[in-house]
Amino acid sequence: MIATIARKEFLEIVRDGRFKWTAALMVLLLVTALLAGWQRFNSYSQIQATAQGSTNTQWLKQGDKNPHTAAHYGNYAFKPLGPLAFFDSGIVNYAGTAVFMEAHKQNFAIARPATDTSAVARFGELNGAMILQVLLPLLIIFLGFTAFSGERETGTLRQLMSMGVSRGSLLWGKAAGIAAAVLLVVLPCLAVGALALAATGLQTAGGGIWTRVALIGGAYLGYAAVFLFLTLAVSAWAKTARTALMALVGFWAFTAFIMPKTAAEVSRLVEPSPAFGTFMAEMKEHQKRGIDGISPRIKLAQYRGELFRKYGVSRVQDLPVYWTAVSMQKLEELDHPVFEQHYNAVRDEYARQLRLQDRLGLLAPLLPLRSISMTLAGTDLIQHNRFMAETEVFRRNMVLKMNTYLSQAAANLNGVNSATNYMIANEDVFAIVPPFRYEPPALRDVIASQAGNFTLLAGWLLATIVLALVAVKRMSLERN
Amino acid sequence: MLEAIDLKKTYGDYQALKGLNLRVNGGDIYCLLGANGAGKTTTINLFLNFVTPTSGVARVNGIDVNADPLQTKRYLAYIPEQVMLYGNLTGMENLEYFARLGGHDEYSADDYRGFLRRVGLQEDAAGRRVKTYSKGMRQKVGVAIALAKQARALLLDEPTSGLDPKASNEFSELLVQLKSEGAAILMATHDLFRAKETGTRIGIMRGGQLVQELSTDEVSHADLERIYLEHMH
Repeated sequence: MIATIARKEFLEIVRDGRFKWTAALMVLLLVTALLAGWQRFNSYSQIQATAQGSTNTQWLKQGDKNPHTAAHYGNYAFKPLGPLAFFDSGIVNYAGTAVFMEAHKQNFAIARPATDTSAVARFGELNGAMILQVLLPLLIIFLGFTAFSGERETGTLRQLMSMGVSRGSLLWGKAAGIAAAVLLVVLPCLAVGALALAATGLQTAGGGIWTRVALIGGAYLGYAAVFLFLTLAVSAWAKTARTALMALVGFWAFTAFIMPKTAAEVSRLVEPSPAFGTFMAEMKEHQKRGIDGISPRIKLAQYRGELFRKYGVSRVQDLPVYWTAVSMQKLEELDHPVFEQHYNAVRDEYARQLRLQDRLGLLAPLLPLRSISMTLAGTDLIQHNRFMAETEVFRRNMVLKMNTYLSQAAANLNGVNSATNYMIANEDVFAIVPPFRYEPPALRDVIASQAGNFTLLAGWLLATIVLALVAVKRMSLERN
Repeated sequence: MLEAIDLKKTYGDYQALKGLNLRVNGGDIYCLLGANGAGKTTTINLFLNFVTPTSGVARVNGIDVNADPLQTKRYLAYIPEQVMLYGNLTGMENLEYFARLGGHDEYSADDYRGFLRRVGLQEDAAGRRVKTYSKGMRQKVGVAIALAKQARALLLDEPTSGLDPKASNEFSELLVQLKSEGAAILMATHDLFRAKETGTRIGIMRGGQLVQELSTDEVSHADLERIYLEHMH
């Protein structure tokens, strides 16, 4: 019975002139978006690998110089992206893709493509995720809004119900028929996407590429089903097809455009984040003042006293370690808690904003889906924060290695004017700093972070199915 | 067999049906006559369970319609004034769809063609999309659906109004055939001539009540018209 209804529904949709146009448009947009994303990802990956390679070489070949100066010369980290970034670029365009790592300073990521584009591009670049998040619901609405309301208007609903069909079977049959028509459009496009993915090589950041694909696929399927059942519910409920269409398109605009923007604004209002200038100024001020209000200069004097006691000496020139180097390292370490406090505060702020936005997913199913999608694609805020944390680990290690080397190699220069006579190191010394490698988070942790969003999406699906069942049970067969 | 026992339907203060008692046996064509608003369509809707009765019982084949609507609909076929079909499907596809929904998966394409031939639909029309059909052709598909469904009872709501005389005549002939095969047929109509010609029994309704029942072989066409008009005044 359900299969019979599904088959007829599918046949009717596919024969409708509207279907051919919307399907053609959808295929065109989706394939373009996927291929454009794929091309963008490939060129990005190439540039990233090349840039990381050349910055590593640059570090080694920077020319013979003092190790601490080498730490100032610094090193770049370029964020590697997992292959699924081609499908969902997440916040990559806004958060930055490169970090300059140098002595004394913890920097924000730079190279944010969004800053190089016009205002129109801020609307969001064309990628597969965006098409599926925004246009797939619209396709479902267009194919489904007449499911009940149209049959009621033409009078076939009475004919249909006189056959002895249960309303439940009618709902499932129609859902299956519309779903088949939607999949007919979307699946071939996604197959193209999967081929592109397979062609990039599957060494994804974090591993488990097909687990990620399956979970992302499941999430989008659930999201599409939410719109499918909502469309059927409204179609059964609304007095006319026109009303159904208007209500559905209204909800679509609400969830696809109004809510994401509103959620961002609300979260910023509730959990305000500092302006960049203020943030930097406050951090610098704090560095000068010292984490606990004791200035680094006083701390440094205390440290010298400790070293004198430790080595049983009373003059810098008698120290067995190069004082300039150990004092630089001490200053560096005094900054660590200040960096941590300020950067952690702002990251916590963002995390709270994100949690709030996720919770607003109660009002719009797009929000939990968006988080799931970008998190599994590895292009979300949490994974960006992890990248930033790893660059800081690298930076500290680089500075520590250089200062430590210098402190031992140049102990004989204590008391000598360091401006005229200093230790020179070469490539072999720089090589003790291992090149930057990014270890993405374990897939298990990535999935666990999205448990709440998966639950929200499942809740939406359940609620819309119940809504559709109730609407169909109460559905009027008459036009008025 | 169709049976109504003290069937009542009220909408707020308005009594659409005031205690209808009616019985249509297999082999009967029972014609319900009456002005618009007399309760004919309400009666048919009650048998179809499209509306629930305020009180009383409607039975199809002895089963209470309200208690087991899906079961009673298996025995029924419904042909309204305008049989509504899916314009983008062919006549064959419409017939197959409705037959399957009616619980009949057993037919072959030849069977479906046979049903459509029996109701007099042109051979070449069966494979055409229904949106190109005339009203008469749609009504024929409606009868074909009833045939495919092997309906024991037919509910017809002014099925021939708007049909040209030839199409109307063909339709009536089909009804007579179905009757002779043992179907119970309840038909709401304004066509006194057709009622007399094809009906076996006639019920005149007014204001939600059955005011008179008679057998068509007891009255002449002129008598029927006179009796009907007397009730309408």
